[in-house]
Amino acid sequence: MAFFSVLLIIIPVFTALVIYLYKHSAVKYLTFIAQLAMTILAVLYYREFSDQWASTLIVFGDWDLRIGISLINDEISMSFIFLTLFSFWMVLIYTFDTRQSNRTFLFFLMFLQGVFLGLLQTYDLFNMFVFLELTTILVTILIAFKKSGDSFRAAVYYILLNASGVLVFLIGVIIMYNVFGTINVGVIGEAIDSVGEATSVRFAYVLMMAGIAVKSALFPVFSWLPKAHGVAQSAISALLSGLIVKGGLYMFIRINQMFSGANLESGEFFFYVGAATAVVGVLFAVSQKDIKQILAYHTVSQIGIVMMGLSSPDFDTFYGGLLHIFNHALFKSLLFLGAGVIIKAYRTKYVSDMRGVFKTMPAVSIFMIVGMLSITGAPLFNGFISKTIIKYSIEDSTLKSWILFGVNIGTATSFIKMSQIFFGPRRMTLRLYAPFDRIALMGFAFACVILGNFYIPISDGFFGVELSYISVFNFDAFFDYFVALAIGFLIYYFIIKKDYRPIRMIREYKPSFQSANFVFIMFVVVMSVYFVLIP
Amino acid sequence: MILKSSSSRIVISVIKHIVLIGMLGFLFYVFFGAYENLEALYNTFGKDYFSRYAEAETGSKNLVTSILLDYRLFDSLFEAGILLIAVSGVIWISRHEIEEKNAQFMIDKFKTPDLFVTFSRLVYPLMLAFGFYVIINGHLSPGGGFQGGAIVATAILILYYIDAEKDTNINLIVTVEKYIYIAILLLATASYFTRGAFFTNVFPLESSADAKSIYLVVLNVLIGFKVALGLWAIFTAFLKEGR
Repeated sequence: MAFFSVLLIIIPVFTALVIYLYKHSAVKYLTFIAQLAMTILAVLYYREFSDQWASTLIVFGDWDLRIGISLINDEISMSFIFLTLFSFWMVLIYTFDTRQSNRTFLFFLMFLQGVFLGLLQTYDLFNMFVFLELTTILVTILIAFKKSGDSFRAAVYYILLNASGVLVFLIGVIIMYNVFGTINVGVIGEAIDSVGEATSVRFAYVLMMAGIAVKSALFPVFSWLPKAHGVAQSAISALLSGLIVKGGLYMFIRINQMFSGANLESGEFFFYVGAATAVVGVLFAVSQKDIKQILAYHTVSQIGIVMMGLSSPDFDTFYGGLLHIFNHALFKSLLFLGAGVIIKAYRTKYVSDMRGVFKTMPAVSIFMIVGMLSITGAPLFNGFISKTIIKYSIEDSTLKSWILFGVNIGTATSFIKMSQIFFGPRRMTLRLYAPFDRIALMGFAFACVILGNFYIPISDGFFGVELSYISVFNFDAFFDYFVALAIGFLIYYFIIKKDYRPIRMIREYKPSFQSANFVFIMFVVVMSVYFVLIP
Repeated sequence: MILKSSSSRIVISVIKHIVLIGMLGFLFYVFFGAYENLEALYNTFGKDYFSRYAEAETGSKNLVTSILLDYRLFDSLFEAGILLIAVSGVIWISRHEIEEKNAQFMIDKFKTPDLFVTFSRLVYPLMLAFGFYVIINGHLSPGGGFQGGAIVATAILILYYIDAEKDTNINLIVTVEKYIYIAILLLATASYFTRGAFFTNVFPLESSADAKSIYLVVLNVLIGFKVALGLWAIFTAFLKEGR
């Protein structure tokens, strides 16, 4: 049974190659067969190993653990695997039978799935690097898939910045190999407390975290994300924002676990990096007019909220961040896919030109509203749960609580702005032939509502974490939500709608590649000072 | 006003450069601190293991090949995958639905010198032979599939100097490349059925070095062909883009 983890990587890669080679039109049904097979394998695998994760370790070639490459799974990687399978199911359904659904597209998509599943399961640092590199190249091609000038520019920006991040990560891996004589994550994790104080280990941590920060779009180095996610096709944007960018956060979890014996005390530092990411992301988001740019900048700000949780050494806070990864994946994919349907029908990307969506497309509007309620953290929807966990665990610090409240207000503001698209009279639009896109939207919307209401049994069954201290039917929860909404409305009505000059300046600020690199080096320097020089 | 803004821009850019050099110098300093620290901590476990056991365990005299095709074969599969994806991506991006007008064939504009063509004809078979030598002897001497494949690809590219009008069926190259990649994947997983472990030599651990080298040669040849075809396809795509 343990070899199922290998099959989860090999099946999608193999399917991708077969799709590329056979030119028959029926070959695209093969993706669904492969997807079904992988889902069944993952469920069987989970049922077999859910109480004995140590026996999922599989070393290729039966070599010594320190020499060979190995795969391992636990609750976290398994939950990411289920999220990956679900997201790819929905995106495959969404793109089915439209013009995009040609073979080349499916080839890259399925290959990406295999590589991403490999990244989630690997237990080896260099293997992680290889998968990161491959993900970067695949995502570049998917961003440039439309072959328009904008998408080429965004793709080149993406690959240059991410390749420099991945290279810095590789230097960290080389230092680790010299110190430990192995690059197995588990072996290093056990040996690290003896050398945790060493300068070289700390510097390796800095370099690896800098690479991960680029991949997961943290504060100073997030400028590739809105470019890339804003210009790609909606289905690709949904996949990138919902899932692929979480690969960086997943590696953040893994590398932090590996370094947990070294007592680096990175919690405070990454909390404020996350807070800065959240605030800056929201500031940019409220000033945008393009619906996909708004959603892309909200991905940045939500990643900041995730980091505010994940960075904490305390398990409850960490769990809030982890849960927010899944919640964000669901509602952001929903919003991007819904935005894609609306953009196709209205043939514009600008929020101000879309009016009367509710009367024109009632079903899509209801799903979009579910997504908006989730992202703003309304009770009864999934965003509320994880945001509340993070809110409760940082209650002691006034500053931290205010940062989170401020980000919530900003999120409310920009989604009040976006909700203006629903009002107005019905408009005649072109009905494109895309029969299954509503099913994908419905899948994500149901997942949002189910996670928002049945979070206690789900969390208990999967992670064994007791969440009954979060109650939805709580006066304070509704009160906080409506206060944030009301302040958001006032800010929208009196500041954003007037479109003052500072807002225009924020909107038109486009960081060049040169300044992105400058900021990246600055980030590495700040991290070196904090982690290497000060102690 | 314009003068002022341009001079201030120069000042800002100079400050930026000074700050950048300072930051890089600082990183250099930290890196050297880490390096000095590394000498005390240096762990030779991996190095010792490979120099002691690699030849007996994998049947390869070249330690790089033993790591590439046995201990870390899983990595090599996806490194070959990087090239595969890059090739498919370049071909997808360089494919145009609309025939561009006024596009001229660039190469026939400047004629290749006769001397160069003659020498290319001389060098071509030698390079091809050297490439195959590097591929086939990858387990005995420095080299292997990746390096030899690159040499073979370079030899093929020389053909374009000899005959600039040469027309290549790029789809065929890419298709064959994909089939070879499937063959590599299947060969790498075959060890599960013979040895019970994924991604290693198909021959059992205790079998002779000669038997194991059969597997290494086959895998090296497949990887060599894959790399050569992939690079050839990329070059052809660029050439078509230039036309």
